[in-house]
Amino acid sequence: MINSILRFGLIFILLILSQVLLFNNIQFSGYINPYVYVMFILLLPVEIPAWLLLLLSFGTGLIMDFFSGSPGMHSSATVFAGFARPYILRIISPRDGYEPHVEPSMVIYGFRWFLIYTLLVVLVHHTILFYLEVFRVTDFFRTLLRIILSSVFSITFILLVEFYRKGK
Amino acid sequence: MRSLLNFLARYNNLIIFLILEGIGIYLLTTGNSYHNTRILKSVRNLTQGIEQKVRNTRNYLNLKDINAALAGENIALKNSIERLVKGENSLFFSVTDSIHKQQYLHTSAEVISNSVNKQKNFFTVNKGTTQGIRTDMAVISGNGIAGVVVGCSENYSVAMSLLNLDFKLSARIKSNGYFGSLSWDGRDYRLAILSEIPQHVAVNVGDTIETTGYSAIFPEGVLIGTVSEYEKYGGDFYKITVSLNTDFRKLHFIDIIGNMKKTEQLQLEKLFQ
Repeated sequence: MINSILRFGLIFILLILSQVLLFNNIQFSGYINPYVYVMFILLLPVEIPAWLLLLLSFGTGLIMDFFSGSPGMHSSATVFAGFARPYILRIISPRDGYEPHVEPSMVIYGFRWFLIYTLLVVLVHHTILFYLEVFRVTDFFRTLLRIILSSVFSITFILLVEFYRKGK
Repeated sequence: MRSLLNFLARYNNLIIFLILEGIGIYLLTTGNSYHNTRILKSVRNLTQGIEQKVRNTRNYLNLKDINAALAGENIALKNSIERLVKGENSLFFSVTDSIHKQQYLHTSAEVISNSVNKQKNFFTVNKGTTQGIRTDMAVISGNGIAGVVVGCSENYSVAMSLLNLDFKLSARIKSNGYFGSLSWDGRDYRLAILSEIPQHVAVNVGDTIETTGYSAIFPEGVLIGTVSEYEKYGGDFYKITVSLNTDFRKLHFIDIIGNMKKTEQLQLEKLFQ
């Protein structure tokens, strides 16, 4: 128990730091802003109670908000992603169901499953985040394009990290 | 009572979700005055400490560029002092009361955190109320405008960058004096849009765009950028794309300008509205 708290604490710090120090500084033509810290929500164990998942998501978003000076934007998006995660897991559950006490990872459930899982959660998160950021309907399709391009980047990064973990 | 408890037990996750999402949306909608929210203020101090450290490292690596920019600015300032002193001497003044002449007060400061990749960008500078910074002061960098101070704590201020969808500024074409409204469209951090210039006005690529000074925030004639392209937009107006002179990715040392006669101007204008 304590072991896993330490583990997720470390993952959390690493993800937040890489987001704040590295990915917040990435910009290609104003369309691509990857938000990879959402990987923390992806990696939490499957059987985590929904209330804890929501609180952790909220906390993650709040810390990102403090760093980017955008109160409520990231927390709203992460809470929504945290709320959506159990439903997403239910929709794409593998034939034999989920194994207890393991985190959703590529090693156990395979590349295709992990890709769909990442895609859905990241899309939900980015959609909420980018529309809240713009907070207007006028640039609807431009924002949609930004969501898609940024999601591609975030998902690529998450998959790369996951491949690395699998390799180990 | 029991049915209420049953209801709560059944929908507890939904309720937690709604509460947290409610907090998020609440923070978001009251967000423009976030420096007033007390919780955020205290935590901001912590994150600002980290940002300052990162900034220091970056500054150290860029010292050469910064030095060159400062030297260039120094020379420009020396030149303008020279011109001013000459102008002063040629006039016949028996009493020179400098207080009444000075309208703008400059304070130099350093940017400690900045972003260009969001739709609503803000940057933080390392001076606050103790150093005389107030809200609604103009921020310019050495070679163009940068933003407007929107909130101050004791030692830090947050400024709305020009790269913010909510930022609006009155700007004019230097050569003919026609003015319009300048804003950012959220696409490229090097380009802004000048609208409301009527179509009978002659516009050329390369024309200088500067501030008008109508807003009582920015002094008159501060450089914004140059026209990079223009097109007819709607029936009557041009949509002019301005290539910004300020490089927002390299915003380091900035000037904060306070208008000492702002309240006077605003009070007078209020009388006639």
